[in-house]
Amino acid sequence: MNISRRHMLGISGLGLSAALLSACAGTGTSTSSSGGQEASGPLQFWSNHPGSSRDVEQKLIDQWNADNPDDQVQLIDAGANYEELAQKFNAALSGGQLPDIVVASDVTWFNFAFTEATTPLDDIWESEGIDTSTYVDTLLGDYVYDGKHYGVPYSRSTCLMYLNTDLLAKAGLPTDRGPETWQEFAEWAPKLLEANGGKAALSIPDGSNYLDWYFQGMMWTFGGHYSKEWDPTFTDEKTVEAAKFLQDQVKAGHIVISKDAENEFGIGNTAATLASTGSLGGMTESASVPFITAFMPGPAPGCPTGGAGLSIPAGISDERKAKAAKFIDWFTNTENTIEFTQATGYMPVRQDAAEHPDEAAFLNENPNARTAIEQLSENTASQDYARVFVNGGGKRIGGALDRIVAGQDVTEVLSSLQEETQKVIDRDIKPHL
Amino acid sequence: MTAPTIPGLENSTPTHEPPQRKYKRGTKATLLGLALVLPNLILLLVFTYRPLIDNIRLSFYNWNIASTRPATFVGLDNYIEWAQNPVSWQIVLQTAIFTVAAVAGSMVLGLALALLLDRPLKGRNAVRSLVFAPYVISGAAVGVAFQFVFDPGYGLIQDLLGRVGLDSPQFYTNPNWALFMITTTYIWKNLGYTFVIYLAALQGLRKDLDEAAEIDRTPRLRKFFKVTLPQLRPTTFFLSITVLLNSLQVFDIINVMTRGGPLETSTTTLVYQVYQETFVNSRAGYGAAIATIMFLAVLIITVVQVRMQERDK
Amino acid sequence: MSTHHSEDAFKQVIPPVAKKETASRGSKATGKTKVRKEKPRQQVALGISPLSKIGGYAGAIIAALVIALPLYFVVITSLKNHADIYADPIKWVPSVWVPQNFSYVWNTLNFDQYLMNSIIITSILVVIKVSLGVLSAYAFAFIKFPGVNALFFLVIGTLMVPNEITIISNYALVSQLGWRDTFTGIIVPLAGVAFGTFLMRNHFRSLPAEIMEAATMDGAGFFKTLFKVVLPMSWPTLMAFILITSVNEWNQYLWPFLISDTGRVAPLQIGLTLLQNNEGLTNWGPVMAGTILATLPMILVFLLLQRSMIKGLTAGAVKG
Repeated sequence: MNISRRHMLGISGLGLSAALLSACAGTGTSTSSSGGQEASGPLQFWSNHPGSSRDVEQKLIDQWNADNPDDQVQLIDAGANYEELAQKFNAALSGGQLPDIVVASDVTWFNFAFTEATTPLDDIWESEGIDTSTYVDTLLGDYVYDGKHYGVPYSRSTCLMYLNTDLLAKAGLPTDRGPETWQEFAEWAPKLLEANGGKAALSIPDGSNYLDWYFQGMMWTFGGHYSKEWDPTFTDEKTVEAAKFLQDQVKAGHIVISKDAENEFGIGNTAATLASTGSLGGMTESASVPFITAFMPGPAPGCPTGGAGLSIPAGISDERKAKAAKFIDWFTNTENTIEFTQATGYMPVRQDAAEHPDEAAFLNENPNARTAIEQLSENTASQDYARVFVNGGGKRIGGALDRIVAGQDVTEVLSSLQEETQKVIDRDIKPHL
Repeated sequence: MTAPTIPGLENSTPTHEPPQRKYKRGTKATLLGLALVLPNLILLLVFTYRPLIDNIRLSFYNWNIASTRPATFVGLDNYIEWAQNPVSWQIVLQTAIFTVAAVAGSMVLGLALALLLDRPLKGRNAVRSLVFAPYVISGAAVGVAFQFVFDPGYGLIQDLLGRVGLDSPQFYTNPNWALFMITTTYIWKNLGYTFVIYLAALQGLRKDLDEAAEIDRTPRLRKFFKVTLPQLRPTTFFLSITVLLNSLQVFDIINVMTRGGPLETSTTTLVYQVYQETFVNSRAGYGAAIATIMFLAVLIITVVQVRMQERDK
Repeated sequence: MSTHHSEDAFKQVIPPVAKKETASRGSKATGKTKVRKEKPRQQVALGISPLSKIGGYAGAIIAALVIALPLYFVVITSLKNHADIYADPIKWVPSVWVPQNFSYVWNTLNFDQYLMNSIIITSILVVIKVSLGVLSAYAFAFIKFPGVNALFFLVIGTLMVPNEITIISNYALVSQLGWRDTFTGIIVPLAGVAFGTFLMRNHFRSLPAEIMEAATMDGAGFFKTLFKVVLPMSWPTLMAFILITSVNEWNQYLWPFLISDTGRVAPLQIGLTLLQNNEGLTNWGPVMAGTILATLPMILVFLLLQRSMIKGLTAGAVKG
């Protein structure tokens, strides 16, 4: 490895006592972000390999590298999950060498855009002649802040309702669809309970495992929201009504909140569960019960989108940004998104993917995978700001929902959640808008 | 027979002064001492104290860790915010409960097992390995493995309780049971550490004292408190400090098993809060303030521990 | 103090063993009342009357069970398929044995590369830390020089600084030095040793003072004193030090994760995370298989070291 001038300075600056007394190799407050890779090195693609996708990512990158000997890309194992990836990226931002492409999840991309850690892509697209019109509109639209795009959809998911067809039949319910509304679910539940020896009809993950994401869709069908743009709306009548519905259903034994909701369903403990499309592959392989997937109950929209996109750090050179943008465009093109999604269970991010013969054949063989794609255009919406844009939003809401499920007073819990969220927005967001 | 120093036994012999330890002194000794200590000290100063000072400085700033904007100096605001938030005190209490239980639990059980497996039993090597094995497994893997023990839907405990007609506690959704689960898991994992240190210490015990008690037919329990335990005192002191400091820094098990939940913070300890605020909520300045508070608290506790140990002598 | 004195003390304090008392004390104490013949030195200390032995075995078995059950589940899960892992009621024995979980881990992970990295990182760190620890401890225990206590407390103080505090700052420094994605970058910041210094110093101070005096009077220099006098009396503790250090460095995660970019220098613990699906269902069979494979080398180290730990008893025991 070449030692640049900057590195030399770094080393000589490390006169022992000087370094430890003055704490000069400081972070953040004293140094600005220190820029990217050497101009000549390969592009660094930092990924947490969502959906166990390391092999397919590497395969696609090898393909790219073979076709573009001058613009090599290197895949970096940058974390076991989105949190670790964000941690590693944060470390790099506060004084290391930046990646050129980074995976950013639904809850992390905004903070990176908002703090100008990642770069807006629209100008690069224009100067490089990159066509983004074939991305699924809602998925691309998720990455807009202040009129500009800060990411491109990559490993995108929605939630689905998984239903045990044996128990549906036993309960005398239709076996080819899920409940169309949550009210219909409430009518089905007692029958499912009876059919399954009194065990709860539906398992949903708890607040530490993204109950806040699943409940979002349920709440929307009641007309409620976590927030309208930057105004939290936890105490709105409709939001409260949805939360009360959740609490009542848990009290009645219709819904059980558990850490491992998917496996509760997979071993037949519950007749239905809410889980991500990303779980479809694993569930198909492991569930000991026959099941179908259905839309989340409506009326539409009854389901939030989720998952991650790809962003480009702001601190790298324009030349590398342009190269990175070209690579991302190729990496998520129709053929590649099809290959990626078939390997992982995520949704294709290009509109024309569904018509592609490969995808059509795949969907005919996997009707459960088709549900997700159909639901995307009919039953989904982008998430509320209070969950994904406010720091710690998801966890805060999840904790409040845990309390509601445990039987605490709904209005009280939501009022304090409202107050707390408002405080965070006033402190972290408002001053920089 | 010589009269060596055995820490802890001096108390019972007011008529005899414990022999003063002879130190090497002088310039030559000073140079030797510094030469032996410095390499280690420099590493620690550069890679632990330099970041610590950095951290303390950061705690007076409002800094979004991902931000390229300059951080703003906010004085003591981070500390005041922390102290005024009732959740902070709930987390302090949880940290205290977890730590005390972890220290007491793993030390008592570790000593008991060390005594047991110090005896000439057949197959004790196998059992020793078994006791030590959990300590070797990484915290993240232990967290994963214990879902098959605690899960109320398909875990080992619900299965065993089910056989006698009992329902499993809700380990993941009930705050108290969740803290219990985290604590027992940690003790299970950490036993190997206290066990090995005590086992090593038992090898250095004075056989003559043991024999004396044996010949006197001292009841085993009394022998343990009068002969064995006092000789183990330096070890116990050492363990009480290291186990305390280690258990205060538990992260993996919590992150994998509960992510600090349920109810958002029911199994969150101070270190986990530092991580959450710094890397998840991106509030590096606030996280640094909590870390500083934690460091100071631990410092005070340790100084008190050391003083108590010295006064006992 | 003299041991003779303490014998007297015990004679006064401890009353003759009464029957009532022994009954309430259970099997261990009951064993004591048996008239014991003269035993070889070591066995006297260890106490092996039949009843007490049975008590010992009973205790060992109970302890083994409580500790072993979760371990058993780790092992058995590594041999199950996904459906068996989540079966209700739980499967004590897999309905289908899946040893393929192990070959899957070995083949898909570049396991040997990660293993080699772990061995390199751990062994270098153990050598450095044990050397630094023993040297520092020697100075703190036996040499009087200005500021010795302050320096000792400075070393111990680092035990109180959580990882989470140091990583960001150290990451910046290591990046500036150009050490990212290198073994140097992983190893150097972890090489300072506080735990071992504390442990060894504590142990050195408990060694009989006369022996050190004798060494000094013989005119033995530092190296001779260390290797001929001090260390031979310290094997059990030193082995414990090596063991604990090996395990800790073997299981390092956060720091190597931040510093390494690829499998080139990343240790096993990081490689293992590639087996988990971070969104959706994970098949835990291979994950547990990987965990076992990653744990075995340390169990091996334990078996090797614990033998020397006990040998230290005969080699270095201080007898009057």
